[in-house]
Amino acid sequence: MPSTSVALTPGLASFLKSLNTNPIDTSIENLISLLKRRQIRHSRSCATATAYLLLRVVSACRTSDPVKLIERVQSVGRRLIAAQPREMVVGNIVRRVLGLIREEAEGDHDAEFALSEAGSESQPQTPRGFDDSSLPLDRDVLRPDADRAASRPPLTSMFSLLSHPVEDDSQPSTPGTQSPRGLPGHGPAKDVRAEVLEGINEITDELDQVDDQISSYALEHIHSNEIILTHTSSTTVQKFLLKAASKRKFTVIHAESFPNNHDATHATVSGNSPADDENLSFEAFQKPLIALGITVILIPDSAVFALMSRVNKVILGTHSVLANGGLVAAAGTRVIARAAKVHQTPVVVVSGVYKLSPVYPFDFDSLIEYGDASKVLPFEDGDLVDQIDVQNPLYDYVPAELVDLYITNLGGHAPSYLYRIVSDHYRKEDISF
Amino acid sequence: MTDPVASAPTQSPAAAAPAPAPSQPAMQPSSQQNLPIRDSKPAKVPAQKDKQQKGKDAAPAAAAVGADAPTDGGTKALTPAELKKKAKEEKAARRAKEKLEREQGGAGAAGGSAPGGGQGRPPATPKKDAAGGGASQKGQKAPPPRRGSGPGTVTQTPAVEQKKKKDDKKVAVFGHLYGQQRRTTIAGAGKEVHPAVLALGLQLRDYVVCGSSARCVATLLAFKRVIESYDTPPNNSLSRHLTTVLSHQITYLSTCRPLSISQGNAIRQLKLTISSIDPSTPEASAKATLCEFIDGYIREKITLADQVIARSAAQKIQDGDVIVTFAGSSIVKQTLLQAHSEGKRFRVSIIDSRPLFEGKNLARALANAGLDVQYSLMHGVSHAMKDATKVFLGAHAMMSNGRLYSRVGTALVAMSAKERAGGVEVPVIVCCETVKFTDRVALDSIVVNEIADADELISNQLPQQVTGLADPAAFTAAPVDPKKGGKPAPKEPTPAPSASSRAPSTSPLTEWKDTSNLQLLNIMYDVTPAEYVDMVVTEMGSLPPSAVPIVHRMSTNM
Repeated sequence: MPSTSVALTPGLASFLKSLNTNPIDTSIENLISLLKRRQIRHSRSCATATAYLLLRVVSACRTSDPVKLIERVQSVGRRLIAAQPREMVVGNIVRRVLGLIREEAEGDHDAEFALSEAGSESQPQTPRGFDDSSLPLDRDVLRPDADRAASRPPLTSMFSLLSHPVEDDSQPSTPGTQSPRGLPGHGPAKDVRAEVLEGINEITDELDQVDDQISSYALEHIHSNEIILTHTSSTTVQKFLLKAASKRKFTVIHAESFPNNHDATHATVSGNSPADDENLSFEAFQKPLIALGITVILIPDSAVFALMSRVNKVILGTHSVLANGGLVAAAGTRVIARAAKVHQTPVVVVSGVYKLSPVYPFDFDSLIEYGDASKVLPFEDGDLVDQIDVQNPLYDYVPAELVDLYITNLGGHAPSYLYRIVSDHYRKEDISF
Repeated sequence: MTDPVASAPTQSPAAAAPAPAPSQPAMQPSSQQNLPIRDSKPAKVPAQKDKQQKGKDAAPAAAAVGADAPTDGGTKALTPAELKKKAKEEKAARRAKEKLEREQGGAGAAGGSAPGGGQGRPPATPKKDAAGGGASQKGQKAPPPRRGSGPGTVTQTPAVEQKKKKDDKKVAVFGHLYGQQRRTTIAGAGKEVHPAVLALGLQLRDYVVCGSSARCVATLLAFKRVIESYDTPPNNSLSRHLTTVLSHQITYLSTCRPLSISQGNAIRQLKLTISSIDPSTPEASAKATLCEFIDGYIREKITLADQVIARSAAQKIQDGDVIVTFAGSSIVKQTLLQAHSEGKRFRVSIIDSRPLFEGKNLARALANAGLDVQYSLMHGVSHAMKDATKVFLGAHAMMSNGRLYSRVGTALVAMSAKERAGGVEVPVIVCCETVKFTDRVALDSIVVNEIADADELISNQLPQQVTGLADPAAFTAAPVDPKKGGKPAPKEPTPAPSASSRAPSTSPLTEWKDTSNLQLLNIMYDVTPAEYVDMVVTEMGSLPPSAVPIVHRMSTNM
């Protein structure tokens, strides 16, 4: 993660910079306040910050007792989640780290006693058996690249870890495999903490490369001369389209997502990013689509329905994905997805697996965050603000039935399949910790 | 652009434009110049013949067009078929000329005056066919070409490039809608255009007069003043001549902004009335009849109709309702105010959209009247719809196939209302005067639409500010631009306000016209499918959308 850029404004870069120098409790407080003040916004920034913080937490934790480690991570995780409950990636990363610790603990136990019994994890016996039996099926469904990942997360026991080393080596370019975890012989001897730290490093690697991994599927989904509609300035979507643009010609219709993200969208579309955008600072170097000869048509959000009849595919980024296949994405996504449904246009959502949340939404309203009303009604209309109720929702909940396909770094999935990936990535006992 | 079908029309002019320019520069201007004065054949026939021989190798198409017509006409009487052919050729030649001028006009900023567009070419003429007939005719025009000759050849490539660039900025699917750029100044308007109409044209362009009914009323009132100040010239009858006078005004208005359906309907009725006036009627009484007709039309079709609609639509509102509306329809405003004045307690949620923000005025008016108003933009429509009980929409027009043609975004709002979110569909009620009914049909929002200036999307200014600033800018630019040529004028004043007034916070899009492959699309309307509309409230009663063609037939046959 490049923390080289000198960022004076509080945000991801400044946080990462201060992480190594500040004491651990200060860093936790720092991230909590960043989350509370919404100075750290994008899902990926939040995920990265959480992962690095947990890395520090685990490495500072002078114990190799997995139960203590779990307790420590849980307590930090609870505080982070309480700081910003709608930023679901924070919880996701915490859950994955917890899963790592449990896994390592079990690995130890399995190796030493061939039995798992570490307090809360007395029941994973059944889910693990289920996982193992379903692995071959996964391999049939998913493509080889996905195979690695499909086999990696459910490494609930050392048996499966040892049984797939060859496949892991067949994917040398992917980050997860380069770590020594895939190699046999390390497991039992190493202490839990070091293994967990390596696991967290893997997560950060994954966060770094997730967009590139997703974009590697681009050519499978975009054909020549297509007209693609997208919304907001999602880096994942841009990389996905850029990858396809290197091989194929198509047209992109870009809805500007007016009050909340239109400046970033305009910058993305035109390629002249404003220098002050700290969150995208290291993404700003990428070429815009227009430089690759792709025609980009920028439209106001209201023109989506009018143009939808010409659109072949809708590709959307997202804020987080829920276990039921629904997603929480930038406001305005829902009408776009709905309009696509009405016109029988396929809706594709690109999202890293880290955005997949095990949360099942019962109360959709609680997922929605409201933003700055002055973006809707500017200062000049101050007289109106007193008289009327101005609303600026930041996110929309898009139900699963409006989405046709999810593309994650593991490949393409139907919305109905997502629960499976969720169960691969998160331990049952961690879902509500 | 990548769509093969759609890109064809836009590609072809760009591709075709450079082709004739270098290969046959002499032929096109000369043939055009012959055409308008084809009555004086004897003088030209030799010249044409001469050219015909020379032109055989040089330019087959253009020469044939130019040469055929006079020779045919000179020797024998034309058969109807030949006449038709000739007319066609003339048209083709005229088109070619117009295209040429437009091209030149684009380059006009670099050098040469507007007429220079035609003259930029001749320098090549003496070289190519030195003793050619074209040269003899252009004898009197010889000096200007010399002046323009230097830049003429130089600017030719930029002209082509600029045209290409301009085409590049046109969204391929909507290529057919980029007919003409909106007029930016009153310069160049014909002297027949009445001052009231001139003013109205600019108001229409700047969205000062905005909304289907308002535009209709304003047009009728302006035409009333035209009629009042009209004097039938000698040897003409009012019923014949006034229509041509009016059509000048109409042409001018439609260059400012394409006419709305309601304007079209009103104008049709007015013309019908004019032509039905008995030629023997004295002028004063004929004019009085027409003014009365206009007043009556406005009163019956719009003012009273609005009252009737507001009253009957207000009945649909009940206590505790949450009404969602989109943008700023005058008739919806009237309805809501009417319901409020009847003492009903309800909440209004206004959805607004870029770039016009028409809902803001509606919000202000309703809030001032004491209504409970909630305001959000297009992105919040799903949220606004969550607790909505009714949706009220205004209309630009009702199509004969029951579809609603209205401000872009209406379809999304109507669609959201029909999304079974909580298992309940929200009824969608359209308020629309029958004057907005049309016999046209539309399936999508692409065939029929209106393209507004894409620069409106760049600055986040309020519409009032846009108009407030654009006006002086346009007027200060006016004395400068016309001299430079007709076409570049439209481009300059519009970016000027956005650039100057928003200088501190420059949008990354300010230079979008110079960024290749980037297009901005600012359409004005969209078509809402009939199945999203539950009821159309008109002054003739509340109808399903399927009744639109019947009502339209009834109202036009009466």
